[in-house]
Amino acid sequence: MADPLTARLKLLIVETLRLEDVAPADIPDSEPLIGGGLSLDSIDALELVVRLEKEFGIKIASSEEARSALASVAGLAAYIRERADPTRLPS
Amino acid sequence: MAESAASVRVAACGCITPFGDAPASHAALLRGECALRPVGVLGRDGGDAVPLALVPGRSLDETAPPDWLAALRRLHGSIPEGRWGSPGSPVFVTGSNFGVGGLYALRRTGDGAFAAWGALPTCTERLRLDLGWGPDVSIVSHACVSAHLGLILASRVIGAGLADEALVLSFDFLSPFVAGGFHALKILNSDFPAPYRERDSGAIGLGDGAGFAVLSRERGDWTLSGQSLYNEMHHFTSNRADGSGFARCLDPVAGVARGRKVWFKGHGTGTLEAGRLEVGAARRAFPGAPVVGWKGSLGHTLGSCGLVELAIAIESVRTGRTPGTIGGAGSAMSDSVALESFGNREFDGVVCASNAFGGAHAAFLLGHA
Amino acid sequence: MLERNIQALVTDDPGEETPAEVRNRLKGRFPPGATRRMTILGLMVGRALSELDPREDDSIIYASGYAESGALEGFLDSFPAPSPTLFQTSIHPSAVQQLMIGRQAPVGELLPHSGGPLFAFHALRAALLSPAARALVCGGEERGTWLLEHGLASGRAFAFAASLSRERGPRDLGRMRLIRDDGDGQLGLAAWFDLLHGRTPFSGVIAPGWRMEIEWH
Repeated sequence: MADPLTARLKLLIVETLRLEDVAPADIPDSEPLIGGGLSLDSIDALELVVRLEKEFGIKIASSEEARSALASVAGLAAYIRERADPTRLPS
Repeated sequence: MAESAASVRVAACGCITPFGDAPASHAALLRGECALRPVGVLGRDGGDAVPLALVPGRSLDETAPPDWLAALRRLHGSIPEGRWGSPGSPVFVTGSNFGVGGLYALRRTGDGAFAAWGALPTCTERLRLDLGWGPDVSIVSHACVSAHLGLILASRVIGAGLADEALVLSFDFLSPFVAGGFHALKILNSDFPAPYRERDSGAIGLGDGAGFAVLSRERGDWTLSGQSLYNEMHHFTSNRADGSGFARCLDPVAGVARGRKVWFKGHGTGTLEAGRLEVGAARRAFPGAPVVGWKGSLGHTLGSCGLVELAIAIESVRTGRTPGTIGGAGSAMSDSVALESFGNREFDGVVCASNAFGGAHAAFLLGHA
Repeated sequence: MLERNIQALVTDDPGEETPAEVRNRLKGRFPPGATRRMTILGLMVGRALSELDPREDDSIIYASGYAESGALEGFLDSFPAPSPTLFQTSIHPSAVQQLMIGRQAPVGELLPHSGGPLFAFHALRAALLSPAARALVCGGEERGTWLLEHGLASGRAFAFAASLSRERGPRDLGRMRLIRDDGDGQLGLAAWFDLLHGRTPFSGVIAPGWRMEIEWH
């Protein structure tokens, strides 16, 4: 069963970036998000950042940090777990 | 891409920055001063503190009428009189944001008074009437290469014999709309810019700016030649990694500058990848040319940067001293980057370059007439 | 006199189509996934311009008075957490860049204009003075919503792209020229579009001192 945070992140990616032909479950955990099979780019990454900051109360300071945090869904989940208030994570 | 316009004279040129006019701005840069200050990105609505440089007397929040109008009127007062906007004396108004701050205020407050200057056509028409111009006022807007485009279009009108002189005016004044947008791109953050320096992450500052140039067929002590454009169309916010976009724009200018000793006034906002690519391209196109960038002090004046920095480049040549690259600490990306000011009498030209979103590039050679 | 031959022309007049209907009509003309971030103006101008097959040595003259009204409205409504996508998309000349970046197609010269009463004159003058063999004049407007209520957007959507060449060709559609004239006049972007869309012959003063002539073969 998918980890709730990972599942939530995949749903956010599809919704925020309006990926019409992609189901959240189709997004691999460990493949690169930017420049990978979803054809997302740096602007998509930044758009996700806005949504993630709002949802989880985290702060990503620079475009370089955004790129690092968004290396993959698994990497992003780990990044958020390290920084977010646990009460804001899905259970 | 080939040279985009024939050589043209610059009969007059000036600017306004937070330091003042071109001589005052030049002097401040020589002293190593930084106009950028930490300002809440959303003005009275708060937000993260980011490096902004506002013209004295202005706040980030919009007023109705806009408080930047006073600065533009001051600048306009220094433009030589002419029947600007009449047939034979065309005006080219360029910029990226025009009165867009008014749209932000309109949406936040619902006060219709902010609408008057909000859109490009209505803003320019109000400006035209306020400054007493005739109807021939073109509006050119292409982000941070806007001023260069105005210069090229004006040069072509003169070169075709349709006018003897043309006025190019460029302005960009900050607002929460603009600052908020760049902050969302994560390049305007709490770090101050350090153009052409190696560091872990890039950062820019933004500044108010306005500039003008009167281009002429025959009058003026300066020439613009080798005006060049190129659009990579690779990505909205990044360049081709091989630097080919920069090279495609600079190569025609290098052809025109062959045999001359030049210094290079770069775009240099403080972002890392673009800075490295630009410095590398400048080294290849103009071996030995010192590279300077002033946005670490003035901030990025967006659509007006081409004209603001042309005015300061002219002042540099006139006084014999070029301000170095201000901002940050740490090693420069290349030994071609001039961190300190230097004497420029031994040089006989300046390459002025600007870049914009979408991989847009523009450059020209400034020389003595 | 400044003159070029009209090699090709594409126009789009959606009439009362809603933005969703325009999107559905045009999205199939772009690669799958390419339209995700495209605006209505980007779709319309992009489709028109793409049919002219823009090349690197062309000059593109882009004309839009209000440009990306939808993205502007959306960006303004996204505060206090401004959307980077909408900010980027709202910046002139986004519509042309949406197409050309999607195609990864560099172009030497892109000259984006906004304008008012003399818009046709300024855009056409820029095209006729370009040194490029082909000047692609394109532009249009998309319909605004709350910006329109304040007179800050277009109430009408339309788009066009015309290929103008110095050389005459056997399949030329017509000719466009600017001629000096003592009269006074004006022609905005929408009126110019209507002439092109209707393939209407025209001879009239469109700016102080300038007459435009459009003849169709």
